[in-house]
Amino acid sequence: MGEPVGALSRGLALGLWAAVLLRSAGDGRLDLLLRAQYHPLVTLAGGLLAALAAAQLLVALRQHRGQQGRRAPADPAHWRTTLATAAVALLVLAMPPDPSFADLATRRPQDLVAAESGLSFVLPPLQRSLTDWVRLLREQPDPRLYDGDAVRVSGFVLPVPGEPPRLARLLVRCCIADAAPVGLPVAWPADRPWPAADRWLAVEGVMRAVAGADGQAELVIVPTTIRAIPRPARPLEP
Amino acid sequence: MGSTGLRTAWALFQGLLIEALPFLLIGVLISAIARWLAPGGRWLRRLPQGPLLAPLSGALLGFALPACECGNVPVARQMLVGGAPLGAALGFLFAAPVLNPIVLASTWAAFPNQPWLLLARPLGAVLLTVALALLLGLLPEPLLLQAAVLAQRRQALPLQQASLLQRRDGVLGSAPPPAPSRRPELAELLRHGGQEFLQLALLLVIGCAIAALVQTLVPRQWLLAVGGAPTLSIVALMVLALVVSVCSSVDAFLALSFAAQVTPGALLAFLLLGPVIDLKLVGLLGLLLRPRAVLIASVGAMLGVLLIGQWVNLWAL
Repeated sequence: MGEPVGALSRGLALGLWAAVLLRSAGDGRLDLLLRAQYHPLVTLAGGLLAALAAAQLLVALRQHRGQQGRRAPADPAHWRTTLATAAVALLVLAMPPDPSFADLATRRPQDLVAAESGLSFVLPPLQRSLTDWVRLLREQPDPRLYDGDAVRVSGFVLPVPGEPPRLARLLVRCCIADAAPVGLPVAWPADRPWPAADRWLAVEGVMRAVAGADGQAELVIVPTTIRAIPRPARPLEP
Repeated sequence: MGSTGLRTAWALFQGLLIEALPFLLIGVLISAIARWLAPGGRWLRRLPQGPLLAPLSGALLGFALPACECGNVPVARQMLVGGAPLGAALGFLFAAPVLNPIVLASTWAAFPNQPWLLLARPLGAVLLTVALALLLGLLPEPLLLQAAVLAQRRQALPLQQASLLQRRDGVLGSAPPPAPSRRPELAELLRHGGQEFLQLALLLVIGCAIAALVQTLVPRQWLLAVGGAPTLSIVALMVLALVVSVCSSVDAFLALSFAAQVTPGALLAFLLLGPVIDLKLVGLLGLLLRPRAVLIASVGAMLGVLLIGQWVNLWAL
């Protein structure tokens, strides 16, 4: 493999990595993987890599035409690296992520929402997301304060061993690797089986303070309507 | 691990990889700019020698070249092959991921009510770096550095430090080429930068794959279950730092989520160890250091962090 072929293969491999980053930003998979504030950085890096790839291809073309032709054989180790990275980039392009949120959540400790998040204001009950409710409960944990409040939230079904499943969301600080689940118990209708894990639901109803298994009062969503919804475009919450 | 677990692991792998790639690219660009601005790396050889000053000067370079732990590997390699004192390059490698404005700002943003952490994190990183530089400095360079890095480094070092016989083109071969003092051509810069990015990306892929598999196989509750025990909590958070492998510019926000559950020493241990060594980084470090040196650095970092964490717990609990 001469230097023009080396530059060509490098250019193609860099181009594939640029495609990975740009396509991730374009097809919504970043919304599944990273917190939104890092998306511009990924797009910028993709653009830079694309420019680098184009420059490498131009160099390859010029060298092929003999303007700067160096016919020194390329290092086989470099050739192997280029091939291997190109193969991984192709694999990432071909197989978008499709994580099971319930599976991920069961592998993580729950209820680690930072109390330091400090709610600066409290939205009216119907406008609170599931995460807002959990944060509010961390700040003011008396369930009786919210008894009878109307609620309209969405989330995925998170199985809890020995208990009915919860409605949950994943919070991320940076990427899905640090995702932590937060959830609220739901009084599922007794005449129907519990919903399947990972299913996304929109739930409307009221909050009720009930006695938990340990005798302590806990807040439970008592649904009036439960509707299956597709996974939201941005399922991770900050 | 069933198909659901594999899907989760694949998503974790992509998350870690796509988050780290931009930072890796930044590191490669900084390295290329340094090669272009200072061909031959004369300024690198002017960095202080000495067992303390060298790692300190390398650590302080983090403020000038802000890069996280993925991005600083190509910069540290550029320092090594440019002939910088070994201690300075190691100082940069291990401390720059903490001693840079982005990481300190994110630590401050995550823990505004714990000013001790803002002081303890950089101080701990400097202590750890000096200790690691002293430890690794005990090894002769051929046992410490990878052969390719060592060969290029010897070309850049003055003859007093690397004899003609130690250079690849020694007295028995052709005359040693002069250290490049003119700016490299754009084609050469592109070739070098492109190859470096691909090489590091491959190592990053391996590290992210290992980290994603371990994260999927080991439930995190196991590690945080011992949060209140002084020594066990430090060890658990060190293991967590190794496994989670998030970038040093955001690890403080992750630490915030379990700060209330663990001892202060464990919290600091998490923030100190991750930037020096984690599963994602092992492959990247292997590009600079021989496997035995990576092992010594890893064990040394873990022992150092454990001691610092214990001391903090003794002081704070």
